[in-house]
Amino acid sequence: MHRRDPRAKIAALMVFLVVLATAHRALPAFGLALVLLLSAALIWARLPLFSALARAAIVLPFSLVFAAVCWLSGDPARGFSLLLKSYLSALAVLLVVSTTPFPALLRGLEMSGAPRFLLMVAQFLYRYLFVISEEAQHMTKAAASRGATVRGFMAGTRFRAAAGALAVLFARSYGRAEDIHRSMLARGFLGRFQPFGALRFRATDAVFTLFASLAPVLLRAAVERAM
Amino acid sequence: MRPKARAIPRQTPGCPLGPVHRRVDASVCPPVFALLRNLFFSRCEKCELGAPQILVSGSGSGTILAIVLPWKAIVHIPDGFLSTPVWATMDVAAAPAVGYIVRRAQRGFDDSRVPLLGVMGAFVFAAQMINFPVGIGTTSHLVGGALLAYTLGPAAASVVMSAIIAIQALVFQDGGILAMGANLINMALVGVLAGYLPFYLWGGGRWRKLAIFSGGALSLMASAVLALAELLVSGVPMPSSVLGVSLALFAVSALLEGAITLAVIEALETIQPGFVRKPETGRSFVLGAIGLAAVLLAAVGVLVASTAPDGIEKLGLQTGIALHVRSLVTTPLTGYQAAFFQAGWLRKASAGLAGLALIYAACLLIGRAVARKRSV
Repeated sequence: MHRRDPRAKIAALMVFLVVLATAHRALPAFGLALVLLLSAALIWARLPLFSALARAAIVLPFSLVFAAVCWLSGDPARGFSLLLKSYLSALAVLLVVSTTPFPALLRGLEMSGAPRFLLMVAQFLYRYLFVISEEAQHMTKAAASRGATVRGFMAGTRFRAAAGALAVLFARSYGRAEDIHRSMLARGFLGRFQPFGALRFRATDAVFTLFASLAPVLLRAAVERAM
Repeated sequence: MRPKARAIPRQTPGCPLGPVHRRVDASVCPPVFALLRNLFFSRCEKCELGAPQILVSGSGSGTILAIVLPWKAIVHIPDGFLSTPVWATMDVAAAPAVGYIVRRAQRGFDDSRVPLLGVMGAFVFAAQMINFPVGIGTTSHLVGGALLAYTLGPAAASVVMSAIIAIQALVFQDGGILAMGANLINMALVGVLAGYLPFYLWGGGRWRKLAIFSGGALSLMASAVLALAELLVSGVPMPSSVLGVSLALFAVSALLEGAITLAVIEALETIQPGFVRKPETGRSFVLGAIGLAAVLLAAVGVLVASTAPDGIEKLGLQTGIALHVRSLVTTPLTGYQAAFFQAGWLRKASAGLAGLALIYAACLLIGRAVARKRSV
């Protein structure tokens, strides 16, 4: 599954999400069927099953609150559908993103028609996300070691200090971006990004798309027929 | 790293373990809090556990925790919450809008400046980790749309926010894929523009600080109100108490966002004045007030109208307005119903949203025409 074309995986994901989003009847059975389908796909992709299932549960706290509100308002079916749909869609997205390297995913999106400028920004964002986050963590740790965590003491000063820390982080990020720009120019960047590594859509990809798109549709038809 | 053996900490206000915490060694804290920590919670400095972002009293912690928990995360709508007409409409509306704003941004920033936008997006991500103390046991963090608009300009800020939303949906599964159109409109388009509007109008004069503060507050408030409206139109039940509490919490966080944005902009100007853009001077106060009122009215109006459409119709019938209305020209938006949708709710909502867009566009065009006349 890791070697399939990103466009195939994106197409299959969209079909899955649309089939899930439009499902209204027989949700428990359909939900179970989809969980089994995704688990089978995770096992086929040789990803750790329980870690993936747990990681997809990140959306649950948010959905649980709304489900509780639904339940208390007398509509438990809707609450359950909220939980199920948000969890399944998170799991499906996790599956696709874990089996596709991020630049290839963006390349697949670009060939499906998304604006390249936006995708380039996303690529650089992803590349420098962890770098800048680590810098921010260093700063918070440095501030903590200098006593910024003393409770209730000079809150106004600490507020301004945190703002100053953010401004310094901004300036450092900006400076880093300028360095990147200069080094790109120094390495012969001509001002326009050329498409790199053309993706080839093979027969195996077509077969995969076919089966992966049909699976949720057939499952839904089967479940609704059986109800 | 958490130290292994530690003296029993005293009661930490806002720590979700509450009184239990007093008896338990810090090293025994359940790992699930570490998982949720960076998503929803600020850091409790005593034990490095998560703590909700509002002061929680012991007795009320149960109910307040349930509402506060998704407080900051609410503006990212996951899949499954919006009904099919709503997310489909939003996706269809967002696609050309994002395409337009990307082309607009490319005019000001050519391809070689893409790393700058990417790094600024990473900065916004990282900035959400820095906690601002705003009271006893309470911290808040920057959301960042308005800050980006003031330093990069509105089009580039929209592009960066779009990239952020895309990465959050794909990599962190924070926000749905089908709902990404709605999230993009809420945060990357309306949020950034609403944040930029006060700065554009009044950022050059004496009211600069107030403009920056209100921009930050408005960006958060507009995105939150739109998100709530979309949820309501989709039929997610929200009793008025929950709605009231949510709006109150959003108002508080909007004010905090304004304060943090202002503080960061001031700090930036001391470091290097060139970071913050200078909006053109000479904006009309009245025009600005009209534009702002239109945005607020439309945003709040969508919310109110989606909760009580029957009330508004009843009012119309009672005052006899409905009887006197004669549509001379049949347009697709006649009778506040977009004729090409089936569901009654959706007709009104889509017409309302289209009306909002028209009002905003009209204000922008008027403003530009006035400015052109002035500069001649």
